[in-house]
This record gives sequence, C-alpha cells and structure tokens, in this order.
Amino acid sequence: MRRGASVYLVTRTHGLRTHLITPRDMQILAKAKTLRDVYDNLLKTDYAVEIGQLPTQEQDATTLENIILKKLVERFFFVRRSAQGKMQDLLTRYSARFEVENIKRIIRAKHGGQNAEELNLIPLQREYTLVNFPALLKAKDVDEVASLLRDSQYRPILAKLQAYEESGTTMILEAALDKIYFSRVWELAGKMQGARNLIGEEIDLRNLLTVFSLKTRDVSAKLIEESTIPVSYALPKTTLRALLQSQLQEAPNLLRTDYSKLASEAANLLKKGSSLLLERVFFKQLYGDASAVLTTHPLQVGYIIAYLLLCECEAKNLISIVTGRQLNLGEEVIPKDLFGVQD
Amino acid sequence: MSLGRVAVTRGVLLRLREQLDFTKRGKELLEMKRDNLAAETNRLLAKIKVRHEFEQRLMEAYGSLRAAYVTLGYSRLQSQAFTVKPLEAKVRLRSVMGVLVPEIVQGQKPAINSITDPSAYAAAEQLTSSMGELLSIAEAEARIESIAQELMLTNRKVNALERVILPNIIETLRYIEGRLEEETLEEFFRAKRVKALIRGTK
Repeated sequence: MRRGASVYLVTRTHGLRTHLITPRDMQILAKAKTLRDVYDNLLKTDYAVEIGQLPTQEQDATTLENIILKKLVERFFFVRRSAQGKMQDLLTRYSARFEVENIKRIIRAKHGGQNAEELNLIPLQREYTLVNFPALLKAKDVDEVASLLRDSQYRPILAKLQAYEESGTTMILEAALDKIYFSRVWELAGKMQGARNLIGEEIDLRNLLTVFSLKTRDVSAKLIEESTIPVSYALPKTTLRALLQSQLQEAPNLLRTDYSKLASEAANLLKKGSSLLLERVFFKQLYGDASAVLTTHPLQVGYIIAYLLLCECEAKNLISIVTGRQLNLGEEVIPKDLFGVQD
Repeated sequence: MSLGRVAVTRGVLLRLREQLDFTKRGKELLEMKRDNLAAETNRLLAKIKVRHEFEQRLMEAYGSLRAAYVTLGYSRLQSQAFTVKPLEAKVRLRSVMGVLVPEIVQGQKPAINSITDPSAYAAAEQLTSSMGELLSIAEAEARIESIAQELMLTNRKVNALERVILPNIIETLRYIEGRLEEETLEEFFRAKRVKALIRGTK
C-alpha cells in the first residue's frame, strides 16, 4: 500500500474509532435496569438509525443482536472499502471471518438435521461475499454444502469430508475452515509489520483455546492437533505439540512466553471446573492488547486491525448486555462478563 | 341389605355362604394388592427423594446455559445447539398389579461432541448429564401418581368389604340361620303336637 493511502486509512480509522462506545458508556449500558433502557441508550450511538426503526413489539434481544452484528459487518467492510492495494486485500481476507462463521453455522445445522434460516446467520450482505448462502441453506446435507463450496476458496474442506464422516463431528470441518481463513490472512499479514502482531496473537490464542478446551474433553491428541491453526507466531509448533502431550497444569512452564500467565489462569479455571469462562480469558487478553495498540501504535496499520478487533469486542459486549437483560440477569452478573477495554 | 326382604330359604343360605367365602378371598387379594402397591410406592418414593438435590444441579445447569447465552448471544449458541442430535426416548405402558404405569425407554443420547465453544459445551454437558436422572424422576413421579390413585381405590374397596359388605353378609347369614332354626323348631313342635293329638283321639 502506498504511504499516502496508508496514512489516509489510519487517519480514517482514528475517526471511526471515536464512534465506538466508550468503556464508561458500556458500563452504564451494563447497569441498565431493563432491555428498554439499553434500547434507549443505544439510540445515542451508531446503532441509532437501525434501532430507531424497530417497532416496539420487536425490541427483543435477538433483533438487537441482529442489528449489532449487522453494524459490525458494516464497520469491517467500510474500512475495507476505504483501503487500497495490499491492505484492501488483507482486509478482504480478514473480513471473511463472517463468511466462515456463516458457513460453520450452516454445516452445524445440516449435521444436526436442522433447518437453518437466514435469520440464524450473521447478516452479511450479498455484495460482501462470493459464497451463495441461499443455496447453502437449501442444501440437504453437509456433503452438498461442501460440494457447493467446490469453486470457492473453501474447496479444501471437500478433502475433509471422509474424516468428518468417520469421526461424526463437525469439528474437523470447522477446523479446516479456520485453517483456510487464517492461512489466507497470515499469507498477507505475516509480511506486514504492523498488522502481524495482533493477527498472530489471535491465531496463537485461538490455538491455546482449542488445546485447553479440547484437552478437558474426551478428544484424541491427534484430533486436537488437527483442530489447531497451522500458523505460528509466538507459539512454536513444538511447544503446541508438547502442550498436547502434557498435563494442562504444566502448561505455564511449557509456554515460557507472554502466554504463560494466561495459561496459568486458564489451567486454574479448568481445575475449578469452570470452563465457561475459558473463552473470556483468552479473548480478554486479545482485546486488551488491541486496545493497547491504539495508544502505542497510533500511526501503523496495526491500528486498523486493533480497531476492527475492538469493533468485534464492542459487539460481543453489547450482545452480552442485551442477552443478559432479556434473561433478566442481575446487573452484577453482566459487567463481569464484559471484556474490560481500556479507553 | 334390608333383612326384611331376604328370602329365608336354605338355597339363599347356601348362596350367601358361597358369597361370604368369595368376598373374603376377594378381600384378601385386594389387601395383597394394596400392600404391593404400597411397597412399590415406597420404592418409588426413595427414587424421588433425590429430587431436591437434582433440582439444585439442574438450576446450576440452567445457570451455565444462561452464562453461555450471555457469552455467545442467541444466534451463536443456537448454532452450536444445532449440532446436537436430540435425545431419543419412548414412553410405553407397563402393568404393575393391574395398574398401567409409564415406562421411559431411553434411546440415543444427545451427541454433543460437535460443540466447539467451551461455554456452550460446558452448559450442554451439564444439561445432557442431567437428562437421564430427569427422565428417571419423571417416570417415578408419573408412576406414583397412577399407583396412588389405584391405591386409594383399592383401599376404599377393602374398607367397603371389611366394614359394610362382609358384616352385612354375616348379619344376613345369622338372620337366615336363626329364622331357619326357628322354623325347624316350629316344625318339630308342630309335628309333636299333631302326633299327640292323633294319639289322644285314638
């Protein structure tokens, strides 16, 4: 990407960042008494246009979640549209995470013999994807879904169909999709100094999350290894293999990196039997680091990735809040579930 | 039974004696049925004694499910739930001492191995592990309900036999026996008188 285009994009992202809900406002939202209060507060944010058009009877968590996800997708693709050259290529590949998540959702539904509808997917507009989702939704089984992806970048999942049928779990196909997605992103991001740190960290953390969550279950080491993303940033493959062969309590010693503390926290959680919070531990670190990048690298392309990660973080926090309110959870429960993002 | 309307004949007496034997045997059988039903109820009550503990575990599982909802949101959790093949269970009827009670036969257990998210998996694991116990408690409760109704009915029948029907039959028997004895004595006396009169005229 040319220097000027890069400066423009980073500057644009600085402006976009001001649209994010601040942690203080997020705390206010989390303390809202009812879903109606959350709705009223969201009318003062970027979500106002969509939410303002909602009829009163449709103001429920699922509709709000849909709007939040729609905004998230728009934010990703707005940045992508503003980029040029290699950065645009990277952001196109990076934004394919919604496409991947939707394919996973369809595969899961077909595996369980359920009828997935467009409502069950992340609202991804036709212009943002080359995958024919209406056709995938109409597919009768997983095989048909895979064959419909034959001409796309997700073709390699066809090779995993036999393994899927033998194991009877969609984990194999989901892992294959993650591999395709992150390999394509890393192919470009690995060479971009500013972008590689956060993307590399995300890959490492996802791999650690996979290992930690699957090792507590009755899943073979081979399947766990196959489920990890074959890209290394600060977590060498040898360490990951050693982790697979050892007890989780030994993980902090084995890692000996920035992830050591994180592994210790995760191992403690699993020891207490609360695997519910596992994902939170790893992603809290990622979003925390993304937040730090906003202040430490304000002029690098990493700022753009950090912004996108924080958009994702905001969406997750808002979804937690609206779902918590819909379920009438006490206000003391929800703030604990939010990712603490530094302003 | 109104005694005044009873025909005082030997035939009725014999029939009443047969009825008394039959009713006593019936009462014994009903008592046996009542005892067995009571024993079955006690056995089932022991099964549902764990209900309170189970409810607590179930509430914990619901807590995990709520936490998974908050962590993932509706659409992500629903997507994870799509991979789970539903629990298969059949309800068929079984007879316990003539009482039809439901029996739950568990088929395929829900397969949760395709759930990738740790919070969704934790919730699913807790909920699916509770399903077996939940069905067992539900089965025991439904059985108790059916058995309790039958037990009440049997108890009423035993009480009716013991306090109304048997005393009535016995009383009627006594009445008929008394009347027949009187009639025999009357007949004997009458025969003697006739005999004496015949002797006097000669």
